Formats: sequence, structure tokens, C-alpha cells
Amino acid sequence: MPRLVFLGKFRPLAPPGLDRVEPPSTVTTLNDLKLWVGGEAPALGAALADMPCKLAVNQQIVHDLSRHFHPDDEIAFMPPMSGG
Amino acid sequence: MDIRVTAAAFDPQAEAAGFAAGRHDMGALVSFTGLCRAASDGKAVAELFLDHYPGFTEREIARIAEDIAARCGCPDLLVIHRVGRVVPGEAIVLVAALSGHRADAFEAVRLLMDYLKTDAPLWKRETGPDGVRWIAPRAEDAARRAEAEEA
Repeated sequence: MPRLVFLGKFRPLAPPGLDRVEPPSTVTTLNDLKLWVGGEAPALGAALADMPCKLAVNQQIVHDLSRHFHPDDEIAFMPPMSGG
Repeated sequence: MDIRVTAAAFDPQAEAAGFAAGRHDMGALVSFTGLCRAASDGKAVAELFLDHYPGFTEREIARIAEDIAARCGCPDLLVIHRVGRVVPGEAIVLVAALSGHRADAFEAVRLLMDYLKTDAPLWKRETGPDGVRWIAPRAEDAARRAEAEEA
């Protein structure tokens, strides 16, 4: 199963264990995964819908959410960054 | 190039001095220190917390710094960025540049800060009298970042 990482505002909205839940077999793309995550955790889903979200796969930002993920991928959900 | 992401407080003056020590080939040292304020938008701030993505955050800051070093012809850059809990008065970030002349160093520090505000994988959360609040990037920071991209 992929390992999910939720950062910033998304982190406290992800229920414990969501990072290690096996998505159903119909969830194959990053966009599928984003929608599935939102369905599993409605508060997180609302935040994901409310603000831009960047995804990183194995610590590389991916813009094409139609991309398929692999079971051993690490997939990070990142809200807008606010460093400096 | 010296890039550090740290949970420990640091002394920006001492770090900048150490960065420039012995560099008698350089004519300019420019540094910027971002500090944690005790108030934001008229409300008290008890502390900041900076979330980060270990490994990715360090690499992205290094990538940004390398890009700016090449753009400005200014390879000697220092970035120290705090993560975790930061209290008012402490330094959040130090950016410094060494160069032969001041123009390149000023430009490198300005651009680095513009990019760090919007592109460094860090997320700030303030704790104040009304509880916690995640900080969204300011519109002016996004505008400066867009200007930097066009420059």
C-alpha cells in the first residue's frame, strides 16, 4: 500500500491510520487517491477542495494527477507553502 | 553553499560572521534575518510552529539556492531555516550571500527570500489568544515571487 504523508494544515485533519490504509483497487491514479482520501476524512476533503494542493510522489512534485501510483510509493499532500 | 534546516535556535550574527570569516576575496556580505514577532494582524502570537517534510524540505531549499546562485553569479550562499517551535524574538530564517561587489549579494538575498516565502516546503502555524491558525502565503509574497520569475 502507498504511504501517505499529510503536511501543514492537512496533517491534523488526517485521522490516525489514514496514512497506512489500503485504498480500494479502483483507486489507481493520484486524482483518484485525492478524492478517496477526501471521502475517508470529510474535514480533510473539505480542506483539499478549499485550497491548492501540491502532491509529491517519492519526494518529487507531480503536476499530472492522472498519473498512476505504485503500492510502494510515498505520496505527500502539501497545502500552499509559507516559509521564510 | 551552506543549507541547514534545524529545530535548534541559532545566533544570526554569529552565523553570518562565521560564514564570512576568512573570505578576504569577497567585498560584500549581505544578510537578512527573519524574526518571529509577538503580534500578527493585531493579535498576540505566543509561538510559531513550522511543519516541514524531512529530506524534501532540505533538498528543495538547496535547489532554490542553487538556481539563484547561478542566476546572480553568487555561489556563496547561506540559508538557515528553523522548523518546529519558535518563540517571539527568535530568528526563523537567515539568508546570507557573499560576493565581490554588493549588487550581486543584495539581489541573491532578495530573490532567495522571495522564493523561500512561496516555494520552500514549510508550513507556519501561529498560536494566539484564539487558538492555532495556519498561515496562508500573503498575496504580496506571491506577487514578489511572480516578479522574480519574470526578472
